[in-house]
Amino acid sequence: MKTYHKLPIYVLSASLFAFASCESEDPVIENEEEVITDINLNFTELDESGNEVGTTLTFNASDAEGIEVGDALTADDIELETGKTYRLDIEVLNAIENEDITEEVLEEGDEHQFYFLGSAFEGSSAPLTYVYDDESGELIGVSGIVTVSSSPGFNNAQFRVVLRHDLDKNFPGATNPNFSNFTEAGGESDLDVTFPLILN
Amino acid sequence: MKKQDISALLFTIGLFLVLSAFPAHAQNCNFSIRGKVIHLENNQSIPGAYIWIEEVKNGAITDDDGNFIIRDLCAGTYTLKIQFLGHKEIIETITLEKGSFNKTYRLEEDSMELEGVEIHGHQDAIQTTTAIQALYGEELLESRGENLGESLKRVAGVTTFSTGNSIAKPVIHGLHSNRIMILNNGIRLEGQQWGAEHAPEIDPFLADEITVIKGAETVRFGPEAMGGVILVSPSDLPTKKEHKTDLHLLGASNGRMGNISLTHTGGSEKIKGLGYRIQGSAKRGGTIQSPNYYQSNTGISELNFSGTLGYSNKKLGTELYYSYFNSELGILRDAHTGNLSDLQSIIENGRPFTETDFTYDIDNPKQKVIHHLAKFKSHYHLNSNWKANLQYGFQLNERQEYDRRRGELNTRPSLDLQLYTNTLDLFVDHTHPNAFSGTWGLNIIQQANTNVPGTGVTPLIPNYDMVNLGIYGMEKFSKGPLEIEGGIRYDFRNVKTARFINRELESADLNYQNFTAFLGAYYQLSKTITLSSNLGSAWRPPNVNELFSQGLHHGAAAVEIGDQNLESEKSLKWVNSLEYSTNKTVLELTGYVNSIGNYIYLNPTGENFVSLRGTFNVYEYLQANALFYGIDLSGSHEFTGKLSGYLKGSIIRARNTETDSFFPFIPSDRMDWGMAYRLNGTGKTHKFTLSNLLVARQQREPDFDLAPAPPAYALFNFAYLQQLQLGENKLNVGLQVQNIFNTSYKEYMNRFRYFTDDIGRNILLKINYQF
Repeated sequence: MKTYHKLPIYVLSASLFAFASCESEDPVIENEEEVITDINLNFTELDESGNEVGTTLTFNASDAEGIEVGDALTADDIELETGKTYRLDIEVLNAIENEDITEEVLEEGDEHQFYFLGSAFEGSSAPLTYVYDDESGELIGVSGIVTVSSSPGFNNAQFRVVLRHDLDKNFPGATNPNFSNFTEAGGESDLDVTFPLILN
Repeated sequence: MKKQDISALLFTIGLFLVLSAFPAHAQNCNFSIRGKVIHLENNQSIPGAYIWIEEVKNGAITDDDGNFIIRDLCAGTYTLKIQFLGHKEIIETITLEKGSFNKTYRLEEDSMELEGVEIHGHQDAIQTTTAIQALYGEELLESRGENLGESLKRVAGVTTFSTGNSIAKPVIHGLHSNRIMILNNGIRLEGQQWGAEHAPEIDPFLADEITVIKGAETVRFGPEAMGGVILVSPSDLPTKKEHKTDLHLLGASNGRMGNISLTHTGGSEKIKGLGYRIQGSAKRGGTIQSPNYYQSNTGISELNFSGTLGYSNKKLGTELYYSYFNSELGILRDAHTGNLSDLQSIIENGRPFTETDFTYDIDNPKQKVIHHLAKFKSHYHLNSNWKANLQYGFQLNERQEYDRRRGELNTRPSLDLQLYTNTLDLFVDHTHPNAFSGTWGLNIIQQANTNVPGTGVTPLIPNYDMVNLGIYGMEKFSKGPLEIEGGIRYDFRNVKTARFINRELESADLNYQNFTAFLGAYYQLSKTITLSSNLGSAWRPPNVNELFSQGLHHGAAAVEIGDQNLESEKSLKWVNSLEYSTNKTVLELTGYVNSIGNYIYLNPTGENFVSLRGTFNVYEYLQANALFYGIDLSGSHEFTGKLSGYLKGSIIRARNTETDSFFPFIPSDRMDWGMAYRLNGTGKTHKFTLSNLLVARQQREPDFDLAPAPPAYALFNFAYLQQLQLGENKLNVGLQVQNIFNTSYKEYMNRFRYFTDDIGRNILLKINYQF
């Protein structure tokens, strides 16, 4: 019996030790590896035979703190000329981690796809037409051809870029770059940003 | 509160009183002797004590809670004899004249006879004057295979706040998460309960009884027991040589779920008073099916274990306990949305876009949770009236949540938390026959929360250290049919937090303190009616997520903003219970009012946050005064020896009294009723139950919700239970059909109602063998 009498004392001292030794770790700065802070739309003019001419025009939208609450989003005006054809290369960046996310998008080409929406692509008199032209032949939208109508119905429009992740690429309609019901193909939006478009 | 509502409530209670009082004066030979038998030295109830009335040659045996009743006695004088092995006999002369008789008897251990007789197991049954209801025996058997939240829906006034089908948090009288407390074998469960999608980390198979206390019990259990307490209690350990094994095998058609549980209990022959139990369970389920489609990625996998070793003798009782909970569960793929327009388009669609087939695979988004709980408990009888107790608990909760991310990030959790908790309770109990009994104690909780680095996401909540010190005392006075109880407690809490926001260290050091008190009474009004009333204050310091959330709640398309200056919630809850019971009819009515000051809630600001990823709703944590009130009703009636019926219902009203608006996710009015047909053979019983669940539409919606409240629904369920005695062994076979007509419905309290219909028809086979 005597040993049992001392048991609570042992347990008490053991528990006090546990109390003293249990503290939370110091916090660590977490690298924001998933955040997209910048999207660059690089337009390069093409001549009739498809050769690049002139300098590349870059339009940027950025969100310094990514998707955390912070500074407001800024987006450049996209200025293009009527009647011309451009090659559109999209770059997606994480400036916080100095990382090019475009590569990851290309690596997971079967799970990602850009859609081009807004009034710039809507209706029969839409000022812009987009055709996927990715190097791998897959429909991703990292590279594509944008044709500007020679006589657009209007000169100011909305240019909306949506990057879908984890979608069903075989969903009926999903191959259309202007597929407005993209949510029906499942997945979620990694990017959804609207640029003002001005045609000169 | 509206006047109308109060008068309606009073009318209901009044009507009930009048109706219940009628049978009391019908006959002369309608008296009864009612009582409770408990241990003198520790107030624990004694099941199986023998009560005999010499004059009528009739007797009774106390039930699991130590209660007994002998009915149909005429006026006169009787000699009552109460016996229990190893205890001194009580002989008392009672005169029944006008009313019935009620008394608590305390049996004293007979030390002279102790050699060679049974030593009783030491387990504390909760004694409280507040409304209390338990799930055990047949009802618990029927609930096997369900998670804790689902099982507890069988108790009137308890609903669930769920996220899909596998995550269900119990809701008591409209309160959940950090406003209620769950005790795993006496230790308050400390997981990450602040999250709406964080299910309680506990395996219901370890319970022999699950008790729900509906009153504010802060004094007894510490802060946060504001809405109520859930006790998940294993059975007593054997104190003599015996071995018992309990095997459960379950299968369900929906999700093709399989579940196995094995419990082995034994007592030592060599060392008297030494007992043990080992228990384990495993569960595997796949894609859940709604009436018209599969819900993608809704699989579940669980592996749980617990072990107990106990020793008790006349003076000392000790117990060592360990439980391990390991769960991995998939989150409906479509519920994880990228931004507000994604969310709106799926709500508009009313069902998931993703088409899928059945699979057992669990993909991202998913949760992995491991919970370890170790406990040491000991008590020592200082003398026949005083007992000293020590209880220490250690818990480690590891929670990992995985989202759909790019590439290698998919294999890394986006939320990775480690929570250590130490709890220490030191208290003394005292019991004096037919007078005061009470508890005085000290309680320490220490907690450390760490975000495990490497998630690639700024953590939602900071790292923190918390210490809570509480001292309390409560006393109960019992005399005849009356018990009065009161208590007081003081708590002090310190929380230190630290984290990086935009690469800058932010830390906080916050203190909270509070007094709480309660007063309660229990009175046996007549032989059929008992009345209890409990008024208790409670408090809850704001949780770290309420204080410090800042940023995107991934998947919910919401930006949530905490407030460091939030004050503690303080509440006052008044619970009244009326119980009417005769041989054939049992009715229990509970009415309550809970006034909460500084109630913390997540309020939509109506603003949107525009980012590269699209638009999000912005929510902020606010405080306001709140009033919760309602009634629970449960009852059963035996029409004939074979046919019986039951009814359970609850009504809750909750208002923000400052803005005069409604809170989101308050359960709507509901009622569950059914008829049972029982066939008794020799060593064999069959029971068929047909039941119907009616749930009203929540008419009292908050000003802002992503989607309107879903319409009312009715479900029909069938259950068959066969209990078969095979010599010393027992076989129970159950067949259940839930949602017989495969009705499509959405439950207001399910957060996934925005995305999908609830679960469709489910056929379950449950086999239980006790040997």
